[in-house]
Parts: sequence; structure tokens; C-alpha cells
Amino acid sequence: MKRANVNPAYHDTVITGLAAISSAGVGIDPLREALERGECLLKPVPEGILAESGQLWGKADAFRAADFMPPLKARKFDRCSLFAVVAAGMALKDAGIVPGSFDPTRIGVVLGCGFGGISNAEEFLRGYFTSGAEGMVPMLFPNIVPNASASNASIEHKLKGPNVTTIQRFCSAESAFLMALRFLEEDRADIILTGGVDEVTPLMLRGFSALGQLRSYGSGFGEGAGILVLERGDHARKRKAKVLAGVGGVRTIGRLASGAVREGINRLLPGPCEADLIVLSGTAPGERDLLDRLPAVPRLEPGQILGRSLAMGGLAMTSLVLSLAPGAQGLYLAASPEGPWYAIDWYGGDPDQL
Amino acid sequence: MKSMQQNKIAVTGLGIFSAAGRNVASFKESLFAGRSAIGPIDLFDVGSFASGIGAQLHSYDPLDYFAPREARKLSRVDQFGIIAAGEALRDSAAASYYSPYDIGISLGAGASGMLQSEEWLRVSLTGKRGDPSLLRGLLPDRTATSIAATYNLCGYQVSITTACSSSASSIGWGADLVATGRVKAALCGGSDCLSILTFAGFNSLKVVDPAPCSPFSLGRQGISLGEGAAFLMLEDEAEAKRRGARICGYVLGYAAAGEAYHMTAPDPSGADAARAMSDALRYAGVTADQVGWVNAHGTGTPLNDAVESKAMKLVFGDRAPLVPLVSTKGMTGHCLGAAGSVEALATLVALNEGIIPQTLNFRGADPECDLDYCHAGSRPSASKIALSNSFAFGGNITSLVISA
Repeated sequence: MKRANVNPAYHDTVITGLAAISSAGVGIDPLREALERGECLLKPVPEGILAESGQLWGKADAFRAADFMPPLKARKFDRCSLFAVVAAGMALKDAGIVPGSFDPTRIGVVLGCGFGGISNAEEFLRGYFTSGAEGMVPMLFPNIVPNASASNASIEHKLKGPNVTTIQRFCSAESAFLMALRFLEEDRADIILTGGVDEVTPLMLRGFSALGQLRSYGSGFGEGAGILVLERGDHARKRKAKVLAGVGGVRTIGRLASGAVREGINRLLPGPCEADLIVLSGTAPGERDLLDRLPAVPRLEPGQILGRSLAMGGLAMTSLVLSLAPGAQGLYLAASPEGPWYAIDWYGGDPDQL
Repeated sequence: MKSMQQNKIAVTGLGIFSAAGRNVASFKESLFAGRSAIGPIDLFDVGSFASGIGAQLHSYDPLDYFAPREARKLSRVDQFGIIAAGEALRDSAAASYYSPYDIGISLGAGASGMLQSEEWLRVSLTGKRGDPSLLRGLLPDRTATSIAATYNLCGYQVSITTACSSSASSIGWGADLVATGRVKAALCGGSDCLSILTFAGFNSLKVVDPAPCSPFSLGRQGISLGEGAAFLMLEDEAEAKRRGARICGYVLGYAAAGEAYHMTAPDPSGADAARAMSDALRYAGVTADQVGWVNAHGTGTPLNDAVESKAMKLVFGDRAPLVPLVSTKGMTGHCLGAAGSVEALATLVALNEGIIPQTLNFRGADPECDLDYCHAGSRPSASKIALSNSFAFGGNITSLVISA
């Protein structure tokens, strides 16, 4: 196995479970099938939402909260929280983690979230602006915070380890992923559910339209959740968990300095790239300075298939793990218009078995 | 459990912009004088709420700090962040020493540009076209991006959004970033401002006190909201000394935990808050006996203050009555996303000055809050180590261990 550009400190962190809710459907199998087909799943935005036509989005239409919990219970969550609660349960099950069989303080939740909370904020404010203080619905307010998704997931599954939510442009999930790795390295937890969750709403599209972003970064937005069960390798092997992939080094920069672009790119890609598969996320597919440095190996752009979102990294990293053959090396690249940028090395299968 | 860092993480710069002081010097004056910044709010109409007060940055004119074109592009929160971050950067002089790629940002965010965005919504609901530029700062990551662009900081950047513990987490995480060598210097802190959403929201939950908040007092009715920004520049101690930086303190360790209990109510036992505090001490390599006092989350809500007092007893045992638990929110208001960094900064300057700050607005002794809260006034202290607690919606708890 090729091990270029890898920080040895990260060799022993592995993925032992996955979950996905996306425009491809609910669960890992629909995502795997969509990746194999490679066809775009974005659909036209229904009429009446935007003044302009021809816009596409990637709604998770197959997701029904009632398939997973009583409707009355579902009502207390915002849509992002529903995605996170359900996907977290699927990820735990996929990793063979039975509730009650682990110390809850040793399992954390660290998620990226883009537009979480905005819908509840809009609904709460709409009530206030149209009917004054009498129109405020207190039940909406707790879930206006972007951390509602990760927090509700921890509450529902009784996970008491580190609980953090991150956002940073199109690299919100990658930011969470880096933090989760560090928490495992520091022994703050044995297992962390990480990845990203996001939603796309008519109001968001109207906001993108008002800002003139529907022809740039606001085009083709998607929604859903991609959650990876990140675990220390020794912990995973001790409990005989299936290991889906290993995580290599993570390199990141905040933004490219004017006059020092080459230095920034060199920090992301310091040596020859020997990956067998490259996955591009966020705005990386359009970054020429980055793409020019990459070898001619298969590339995957999950955003083209599922839709883009600020926390699409959760689904994009899940897509990489699903697509990487055992023993193969993967390179994951994510970028945002004003930064940050990430490069993450991956190994298919269990690195310990190769 | 490992200690968090092999190398000590030094604080080499401080910056603050708040109602209690528009720079570190004036904030210190307010802190040491026990002067509250809580008063009437005129940033938006508060006439329909039970409370109409908070710690607002009155008479703030962006043009005192920004060119008109620049000011138009930045939300109030972004502006506060840039001003406070600038003070910390100048104080540390780190930018002239490191490559831009070696200086990162770890920012704690809250309501962000909601104040402007809600104006867009208000206008849109009348059927008119809202000014789209009001939406620019809606997402919480905008402040970090704006600070990075303003000061040409090109290292790692992230925004942490764990509600009221956001900026405490950002400081802990910033210390981690330096400890791992991912950046040489980390600008850590938070920025937040008053907005209709948060003001109306907390009022709808009936947790806003009509009078200035009175943490740990009998008859307290809740929070007083505030706004502002505070930043700490963190560096590896050895590297900071090598470049001749002034070191004004240390972040010795931190812990972040989830209560997994309820979105808005804390676990009444205080067990998870105590776990976070104890874990933070272990990561810092500090024993409970070494802690002189604790800067509480201390919001002034009936439940929070009682639970935090219980947690103190679990952490400090028989010594709990001897470890003052003080809240600076009676001075600064609850700055939400910026609260953790405002309080970390207050803790650090108080440790350096050798005082324990006063908890303001005492109304009477509460049997459920039976510890020492420094209600009578600030007092001298020889202690060099303190904890700073931040609790949040969703049960996101962060505890920082700070030393002079």
C-alpha cells in the first residue's frame, strides 16, 4: 500500500460505520447505487419558489420522519435535527454499537452544519413580525441554534462525549472531521460520530437569488446527512468491529494568500500524489490551481450527483469510503470560495490487514 | 487520560469590544470597579417584551472604525469581531513574526448577522424587496472569514457553533491547534450581538430578568442579554518566548462534553457539568486544590445557578465553600456566542491583577446557592489558576483552565 504524505499520528484512526440520507434516498445502499450509476439526482425547483426558472436542487424526498419515530415526537425537531437523529442511529447500528453497551461519555458527536436552525429562526421571526409578541412560538426557539442537530442526536442516543458543531463555508463537515480526529488522538473519546448535516429550503433559495448566487455557489444545493463512525483503531479491533477505511493525514489552510498561492497549494499537497481515487468536494472541482497538481486517476464529485451544501463533506467522505477498494489509497480535497481548504488521505479497508 | 499538551499554550495577546469596555484597558476598569453595562436597549423595539434591558454597545458608529464601503459589507457582529481581533493581533505582534499560513482562527459564533438578516425578512414580509446585502452575514462563519481577510490570516479557520459555549470551545480548540503544531498561532474568541431573534426568543421562554441579572441571588428571574467580542492570541510558550512576546497567561486545558439530557434544561444533578470541570482539570494536569476560583456560567436563571452550585460541590467536595464561584454576566450581560471568550478574558485579567471579581446585583441569599459568590465585592487573591465555565442549549458544556 502506498503511504505518501501521511502523518503517522493518524494511522490508527478508522471508519467502522456509515450512514447517509440524501437525494439518493435513505441509507447507504441508495447512495452506493447512485454513485455507481453516476447520474445527477438533482431535480427542478418547483414553480412558485423562485422567479427564475431552470434551477435544480437535491431534496431528500424519500426521507419520512414518521418511518423512524412517532409524528408527535418528530414535530419537536427541525428538519436538520431529524436528519441527524435518524442518521446517527443508522450509523451506530452500522458500526455494531448497541445502545447501553458502551460508556456513553466515551462516544461523542462532532458535526458540521450549514443552514441548521435557519428554518426555525425564520418561522419564529415570521410569527413575531406578523403578530407581535403574541405570535411567537416558544417551542421553535431552542432549535434555532446550529448545534441543535448534533445536540438532539446526542440526546436521542444518549451520547455524552464531546459534542461540537462546526461551520466554515463548504468545508463545515471537514472542520468537524479534523476536530473528531484530534479528540480521538487525545483520548477524549473512543468513538465519534462525525460528518455533516444540512437542509435546503425555499427561503434559502430566495436568499441565494437575492444575493445573485444562484448562478454561482448557490446553484444545485442539496440536503441530507452523511455520518461516519470514527474510531480509534485499537478500540475497533478489540471489539472486532468491521473496519471500512483508515484515515491518513489531514492538511488544511484557511485561505490562499495573495502572492503566495503556490505555498498554500504546497501545504495541501506537499509531495507527489499517489492516490488511486480522488474525491472533490465543495468548490474544489473548480479550483484550477489545485486540479493542475492532480494525477490522471478516477475522480468522484458527489456534489454533481447529490447536490452541494455547506456540510456536504459528510456525504462526500461517506461516498469516498464506499468507493475506495480495500488496499487502495484515496485523496479527498475540499475547498470553499474564501477558504478553508482541506486535503485528507484515506486507505480502503482495514490498514492493519494489508 | 492524557494531559492535553506537552508544551504550555501561552496567551500573547488580548482584545475586547463590549458594552463593558471597548478595549482591554477600559474593560479592566469596569471589571475592577464592579460597573455594570446593563441598561435600556434602543437597538430595536423592545416595547412588547417583559424586559427591555441588556448590555448594548450604545453610540456605536461603524464609521469610527471602518471606511463606509467596508462597513456596508460587514454585519454588526463581523465589525465587533474585526475590532476585537485587531486589538489582540496588535497586542501579540504575532502577525509580523509568522507566515500568514501559520496563523489560524478558531471562532465561536452565535446569532451572527441575524440582526441585519431579520430586517431583510421583516421588509420581505411586507411584500417589498429587502436589501439583499443584509443577508451577507447571516451564516455564523462569516465573521471568521472577514477577520481572516482583513488581517491576511491564511492558516486553518473554523467557526464553532455550540450556542453559549461556542467561544469557550473555540479557545480550547485553538489551544489544541497550537499544541499539535497545526498552526503556530491561533486567534481564538467569539463575537455576537443583540438581535430581535435572541431577545424575543429568550423572552418567549420567560428566562429574561426585567431587572439587571443577579446571578446566584434569591429572586433572580433570568438572564440579561449582552453583545460584544473578545479574542485571545495563543502560541506555544517556547516559540512565544523565542520571539520575545509578552506572555499574559496560559490556557492549561479544557474539556467539552455533551449532557445528552435536554435541549434547554440542564441535568439537575450537575453531574455532567462536574464531569466537564473535572476532565478539564485532568487534561490541564491541575488538581482541584490548585484552583483559586471559578468564573461561572452564572446566567442568573433559577435552574442554571442552582445546578452550577451543585456541580461545584461535586468537583471541590468539602472545599467548595472556599472556592468562590463568581459570575461576570451582571457586568457584561450574557453575550451568547461571545460569552465564553469575554469571560475567559475577564478571568485572565483578574488573575493577573490578583483579584476575584464581584458578582453584581445581589438581591438576597438563596438557600439553593449556598457557596461563596463574591456578592459583597471583589477581593484580593494570590491564586494563579481559575476555571471558566460555559454551558449551552443542547447540553454543550465547555470548561477552560486558565492561569496567569
